[in-house]
Amino acid sequence: MTAGAGAPAWMREAERSHLPILRLMVWLSLRLGRGATRWLVAGIALYFTLFSPRSRAASRAYLHQVGAATGWRATFRHFFAFASTIHDRIYLLNGRFDLFNIEVHGTEALHATLSSQPGLLLMGGHLGSFEVLRSVGRGHAQLPVAMLMYADNARKINTILETINPSASADIIPLGQIRSMLEARDRLEQGTLVGMLADRGLGGDSTRITDFLGRPAAFPLGPWRVAAMLRRPVFFMTGLYLGGNRYRIHLEPLADFSAVERGERENAIAAAVDRYADRLAHFCRIAPNNWFNFFDFWQS
Amino acid sequence: MTSNTSPEAVSLLMPEVAGLIVEALNLDMAPEDIEPDAPLFGDGLGLDSIDVLEVALVISKRYGFQLRSDSEDNVRIFSSLRALSAHIVAQRTQ
Repeated sequence: MTAGAGAPAWMREAERSHLPILRLMVWLSLRLGRGATRWLVAGIALYFTLFSPRSRAASRAYLHQVGAATGWRATFRHFFAFASTIHDRIYLLNGRFDLFNIEVHGTEALHATLSSQPGLLLMGGHLGSFEVLRSVGRGHAQLPVAMLMYADNARKINTILETINPSASADIIPLGQIRSMLEARDRLEQGTLVGMLADRGLGGDSTRITDFLGRPAAFPLGPWRVAAMLRRPVFFMTGLYLGGNRYRIHLEPLADFSAVERGERENAIAAAVDRYADRLAHFCRIAPNNWFNFFDFWQS
Repeated sequence: MTSNTSPEAVSLLMPEVAGLIVEALNLDMAPEDIEPDAPLFGDGLGLDSIDVLEVALVISKRYGFQLRSDSEDNVRIFSSLRALSAHIVAQRTQ
């Protein structure tokens, strides 16, 4: 992940993989298939377990906080889950849904909300697979989904993955530009589901401190300001990786800002952030290895 | 409807637009402290794209037109209070 100086710690976290290696990995993955290249993915996870002390410390602190086993093996499994979801992006982008067993929970509630008001916000986090969520829109539910994300973030990976399926970038709204949120507004008006990751701030963002897995953590208010301004319903979303080729997507109603007046905004946002942190913690406990924030999330 | 887009009309509108920005974003400053020619987005006033959305919403409410997301002019429009005010003078319907 690449970011300039002055960026918060998570953005400064250097991307270790280099372009030619990534290219080779993609080529091998497509050429040899998922089964054969999973060994390489395990090797990469092992490499990070051995040679990335900062990520290792973050993994250990998180696993301890969530109440899971800690230790070298636990951290390896944690990194392997992360590496697997990146590896699987290659196949998901390539439309190879046949390789995976993807369960979706909560589409009924989603459709019920959409029938009364098209266009809603999906709040996710760095929990589970991002790609499997996007692919739901493309492959399964036939819903238009656009994700707000940093074009800079993981830029190297994205450039390579885009060569696999150039049309995939059409459902990305790049953050950090003047027009980013205006575009989100327009897409919502067209009935698109707009996804955002609401667990990391950008530094300088206003935040709310709330309980997360038993310790206070800061969550950005920006995504919720957008929901409140545009008066949209909000669903929580996560695409949990369950090992092997299994994924399970959870969609659940989280908050509804469609009738929140300006004066009530602040309280409604605070309640939504608390609930978001609570659901995030809930799914961390269900599938602990899906937490992909490899830095001190609690900033202790 | 013809609108007066003279520099004088723009200067006349600037205090009102500055007031709208300060109020919409709860900025801890007086409207007259917004520099007329400093960038609004990023460096300068330091607005981010969420702030831009907030400003766009109050502008559409107050002046009756929408800031478009696909406009190539957005960078220019948000390049200063003066540029934004000029855009409003040219586009307003109320």
